Amino acid sequence: MKNEDLKFHWRLSYSGEAETTTWDRQFSVEDGAPHIEMQVDFCRKAEEAGIDSLLTDFGYGKPDPMLLAAILGQQAKKIKFILAYRSGLFAPTMFVQQLNTLSSLIDGRLSLNIVAGYSPDEQRAYGDFLSHDERYERTEEFLAICRAFWESKDSVDFQGNHYRVEKGALKARYVSPDRSFPEIFIGGGSEQANRLALSQGTCWMRLPEASEALRESVAPVVARGVEVGLRLAVIARPTREEALNTAMAMAEGVDRAREFVKTSVGHMDSVSFKASYEMGGREWLTPCLWAGAARIYGPAAIALVGSAEEVARAFIEYKRLGITQFILSGWPKLDEMVNFGRIVIPIVREMESEAAAYACSGRCEAPNASR
Amino acid sequence: MPLRFHWSLSSVGDKFRGAKARTEMSGLFDFDEQAEFSRAAEASGIESLLMALGSYRPDPMALSMALGMVTKKIKFMAAVRPGIVSPTYFVQQVNSISALTGGRISINLVTGNAPHELDYYGAFLEHDERYERADEFLAICRAFWKRDGEVNFEGKYYTIKGGRLNTPFVSDERVAPEIFLGGNSELAEQLAMKHADCLWRFADTPENLSERVPPILNRGVEVGLLVSILARPTHEQAVSDAYAMVETLKAQRTFGKDFARKTDSVSYKATLELAEKSQSDWLTPYLWTGAIPYMGSPSIALVGSAEEIAAALIEYKKIGISQFLFIGWPDLDEMTFFGREILPLVRKRELEMEGECQLAARG
Repeated sequence: MKNEDLKFHWRLSYSGEAETTTWDRQFSVEDGAPHIEMQVDFCRKAEEAGIDSLLTDFGYGKPDPMLLAAILGQQAKKIKFILAYRSGLFAPTMFVQQLNTLSSLIDGRLSLNIVAGYSPDEQRAYGDFLSHDERYERTEEFLAICRAFWESKDSVDFQGNHYRVEKGALKARYVSPDRSFPEIFIGGGSEQANRLALSQGTCWMRLPEASEALRESVAPVVARGVEVGLRLAVIARPTREEALNTAMAMAEGVDRAREFVKTSVGHMDSVSFKASYEMGGREWLTPCLWAGAARIYGPAAIALVGSAEEVARAFIEYKRLGITQFILSGWPKLDEMVNFGRIVIPIVREMESEAAAYACSGRCEAPNASR
Repeated sequence: MPLRFHWSLSSVGDKFRGAKARTEMSGLFDFDEQAEFSRAAEASGIESLLMALGSYRPDPMALSMALGMVTKKIKFMAAVRPGIVSPTYFVQQVNSISALTGGRISINLVTGNAPHELDYYGAFLEHDERYERADEFLAICRAFWKRDGEVNFEGKYYTIKGGRLNTPFVSDERVAPEIFLGGNSELAEQLAMKHADCLWRFADTPENLSERVPPILNRGVEVGLLVSILARPTHEQAVSDAYAMVETLKAQRTFGKDFARKTDSVSYKATLELAEKSQSDWLTPYLWTGAIPYMGSPSIALVGSAEEIAAALIEYKKIGISQFLFIGWPDLDEMTFFGREILPLVRKRELEMEGECQLAARG
């Protein structure tokens, strides 16, 4: 993989999800027990598939992502982890200390996906009663303190509305072969999320829309030196017909799932999740982009559906808009990831090197340029 | 019940824990060295390792997790300070570790001993308020461990609504981790009696301790001693090594007094005072305060031969002390010596005592 190549990440599978083909299992109560062997296997398959990092989710139903990454990272040697995290759970000093410790245990193979939280119910269960906007304000302060620990040579002093730190100093440093602090993905479609990504993030993660609609929001972010990434699902098959059949089969007999998603979204205060759910009503945003999945699998599930070639081309199109990273998921998780690595990534890489060669030949005035 | 022994892991490879100025520590650690230390602890009959918390160390939770994966038996006593983590999230982390290590995690709650350190974690409360918050923190944690429906709590420091976690505390022996709590103040005692399984005290003479132990035991809470240990094949060598260490420390710094000015911990202050008021460095023939001016209160130490130290431990046992948390100088050697030379003597004496008890009961 070259530096300018698109980066593909995948959502790590938790209990049982690796094998499931139906939605049923996902919203049945998860047992919350770690399934390390299955997950180590998942990590190794991700490495083989050419996946860059695995997203370890945060939620009350799951084991702690940070500790999970410590174990998985010691057993799988190459894969990185994107740790989902929310402000408000830890004092920022303590958070940096834990993250730095983790970095030294797994050679810095981690990045952060900071979400301000999307479900007030879940936030309250963690003792957090702030509103949507206040959560963003706090997250801004939280990350400002974290970055001060990572980037400043002096001790950290901070006085904000939500945090106050005096003479902060940590001995445990961030350990990585190539960075002084982790990449910071900021997820969210609201104005606040966008601002936060620009001020504290390294990559703004958002949900997909049709290319034209994306173009406008991507360019100004990229112009400010922050990357843009998409959270997407993928259903890729050798032929378009097979992919469509898979998608349509998923949409059948899942009334319970639809009800469940509808209720959950009703309790959320996330701008992008609500928007994505709304888009789900339109079913197909482009011939390849199926928003209908958002009504069955939840708002993060808008899916690219098509032949390997079509899906690869869709990624290249996103790349032309300036999007550089993707956090993907699929159903069943493991199979779709392995399949993606086998049939889609090679085409993407081929298209990328062709594009690079083309761009180069343009610049270098290739022999046939005079034609 | 046989005495239980724990050891303080020197998490940054400082073989003389506490003997090095904190500013000199790198915060980086050698994981393999620590894994080796953990396995040596298992082999030495140590039950758990204290994973201390401080800005000059790595994070205890992440480290416990990682070490748990490369060991089989040893437990990890992870230090936690309320106020720097959401109680819900803390329980989620503890439960995750328990599920992955077969329950080899316990908790050492410290309300914080140094206001300046708490400030850089962003926790600005006075001594008494810290205890009040710790009380709420532990009440919430224990409610989660009950696994008796949703957790709802409304207090001065925390409000939790509809709290639930899917990852349970996993252990063959317990439904919740064992909770240790350190402190010498009235408030610490009250908090321990309410929420903890064992209260840590700094070492003192058995005579001084004997009055304060029984009321706590009567409330069903154990009392343990936090004490340093310097044992050698002979008494003379132990004493000479102890003073040699002080000579080295003298050249480096004076930690104890400087820290004493800043700390608001009752027990830290009490132990310093004990050392200062005493005419000699020896509170008893084996309890030595000579290092306290340089290394602070935790350096009150048992010094002597294997036989002497075993006898001292038994003496403490007789007044109701049931657990010990050691800091050793130098760490690994001291722990190995303890496991090889001292522990068998303690176990032997314990068996004899049991026999004497039975005899007495029959008589």
